[in-house]
Amino acid sequence: MPELVTPSSWSPSRRDVLRLGGLGALALALTACGGPTVGGTGSSTPSAGTGIDWSSITPASEITWWSNHPGASKEVEEELIRRFTAQHPEISVRLVTAGAGYDEIAQRFQAASGTDNLPDLVIASDVWWFRYMINGQIMPVDEIFAHLEVDVADYNPTLYGDYSYDGKHWAAPYARSMPLFYYNKEMWAAAGLPDRGPETWAELEEWAPALREQVPADGAPLGLGTGTSWSAWWFANMLWGQGGQYSQEWTVTLETPEAVAAGQFVHDLFHAKEIAAVGTDTNADFAAGVFASVVGTTGSLTGLLDTVSFDLGAAYMPDGPAGTGVPTGGTGLAIPSSRTPEQQLAAAMFLAFMTDPENTAYFSQSTGYMPVRTSAQEGETMSAIYDSTPQYRTAVDQLATKARSQDWARVFVPSGDQILTDGIEEIVLKGTDPAEALAALTPRLERAFRENVEPYL
Amino acid sequence: MSTLTAPARPATRRGPGRRTIRLRTYLAFLLLAGPNVALLLIFVYRPLLESLYLSTLQWNLGSPDARFIGLGNYVEWFTAPGTGTVLATTGVFTVATVGGSLVLGLALALLLNRRLRGRSAARTVVFAPYVLSGVAVGMLWLFMFDPRYGLVASGLGMLGLPSPQWYTTSPWALVMIIVVYLWKNLGYVALIYLAGLQAVPAELRQAAALDGASTVRTFRSIVLPLLAPTTFFLLVTTLLSSLQSFDIIQAMTQGGPLGSTTTLMYQIYQEGFVTGRAGYASAVATILFVLLLAVTVVQLRFVERKVHYA
Repeated sequence: MPELVTPSSWSPSRRDVLRLGGLGALALALTACGGPTVGGTGSSTPSAGTGIDWSSITPASEITWWSNHPGASKEVEEELIRRFTAQHPEISVRLVTAGAGYDEIAQRFQAASGTDNLPDLVIASDVWWFRYMINGQIMPVDEIFAHLEVDVADYNPTLYGDYSYDGKHWAAPYARSMPLFYYNKEMWAAAGLPDRGPETWAELEEWAPALREQVPADGAPLGLGTGTSWSAWWFANMLWGQGGQYSQEWTVTLETPEAVAAGQFVHDLFHAKEIAAVGTDTNADFAAGVFASVVGTTGSLTGLLDTVSFDLGAAYMPDGPAGTGVPTGGTGLAIPSSRTPEQQLAAAMFLAFMTDPENTAYFSQSTGYMPVRTSAQEGETMSAIYDSTPQYRTAVDQLATKARSQDWARVFVPSGDQILTDGIEEIVLKGTDPAEALAALTPRLERAFRENVEPYL
Repeated sequence: MSTLTAPARPATRRGPGRRTIRLRTYLAFLLLAGPNVALLLIFVYRPLLESLYLSTLQWNLGSPDARFIGLGNYVEWFTAPGTGTVLATTGVFTVATVGGSLVLGLALALLLNRRLRGRSAARTVVFAPYVLSGVAVGMLWLFMFDPRYGLVASGLGMLGLPSPQWYTTSPWALVMIIVVYLWKNLGYVALIYLAGLQAVPAELRQAAALDGASTVRTFRSIVLPLLAPTTFFLLVTTLLSSLQSFDIIQAMTQGGPLGSTTTLMYQIYQEGFVTGRAGYASAVATILFVLLLAVTVVQLRFVERKVHYA
């Protein structure tokens, strides 16, 4: 009788299982390598223009916008969408909370690159838009804005110019900010100081002993936060005030005497002179009276006005011995290059609408970010706001008199901000010798440029 | 399927040949094992292979172009000045969290194994943090550790001690995330140990007691050896989980201050998504994979030999 092979007498051997797995693995290995194109460098360099005849395109009926709602602006953004759809009922806008901050949005946007899961409009902060651009992820807005007859000359030249590279604009300004010097007017009065911010950092140094008497033992005359997208922003003001800069175009200049002097200044601010202290939420500590003053963004003005129980003073960032300079910052909005022309057109219409004089004034009024249109800065809405809340005026005036576009090492070199933050934190948190801390950053920045920027330019 | 389970037919009738049955059985095997194997291949092995491939590239995340650099990313990682710090941080974090959770978890399990009033409620309370989201736990503890307003600062204040600057000083930030990790994962270890304790035969303890063994001696000579399989299981699972922990670090310190809470796992995220060096991040991921594999093999080969299964 032949031996029957029944299920109970057959069980897959280890070889069977391995064979099955091996076949699958082989198939996977053959299909796994579907990532970037290997070999060519520079082919992702953004194209000179889209070359699309926009007049022949019909805008898409639905677009998606990825935002982190800067300045707790979700409701404001929803209102902007309502206003847009009232004017353009044929286009609906889906607002997606795609991160808690600029960095999270950027990480998600980059990770989604090459997939269909991309937005039609995306937050593009000062330290991220250039990376999107060299990766070929966003399109220039010049041609599409020309087709839509957007009055780009009315954008504040500094704020619009921040997104300019290679003769093109790669985003439009949206929630734009600058650092401001906020102070507690009651503490200022109690310390016998004039009702204004210090004109220079040296003046704050003179005022510090009187202010120290107004704060608790664990407080300080000035609160400064640390962390990425922040430390290297406010430090730019101190660096420029000493006559230094992070870089001259692509050449890192952190070992110049001026840069080292700026590092020494911030070192002394925290360690030798103990004028400043760090805080995890400096605005909350300032509101609680732990700090007499704080460096904050214009975007937190509305929030501070709501939370502080004292008269809030807003002043320009102080000057240094070699002059002045306050960095612009915040975010713009960019249109991904891989979307269909229909989606891009609808997104550009929405972008132009949101940043028109009336809506930028509304956004500014609701958040404290600066209006991005010159006409809006002196328009009716903003004038009424300046009258009722003069602190708003400070940011706009500072933009006109002290604004300076940021150094490329921070905003154009991928991870440049992170590298600079490491150096500043070395000085602030560990008290490392500034010359040593700043010198250590140069090779890191140069390497990041060499690997991540140069091949794409 | 029914044909497969049918009894063998009489030998007089010619049934399906051996080859047919073998084929059918093999098809059934494919049908049953195939989906699981496919899932494993797609979601585990494919990313693994892809990561291995990406680790040989110099590639900006988001860029359509990359450059093949062979082992360049590995060479860079092994020669980078910060690698020692990352390894040391990973080592301290792993030893503290694995050791701490085993010791404290066992202590807690011994306590919960006693006949106490409210024992069931206590077990639920102890286990509850394990099922919470790591991000939520991290955010909650951030408030608790606030050096000015936090519960921890208040507690230390009552003892006359100043609160360390948990967020901004190197050793304290690491201590902070270790404490939070232990709090979150202790319930899991305690629960598994509790099950192990309940499997220890009562007669052995009674016999030991009759022989005059003290509680400590009974624990050391009877309970602990019988818990060895449980301890081994927990050692493997907590070690793997600790080496892969990410959520609490992301929610509380983002690897800072000054990289003092950047573990290998967190470095992968930072290099891949913050710095955007996807190739380098893949190389670090491969190194972590090899490390995990080596640790697991060592545990299975050498530690398990010392385990006595009852």
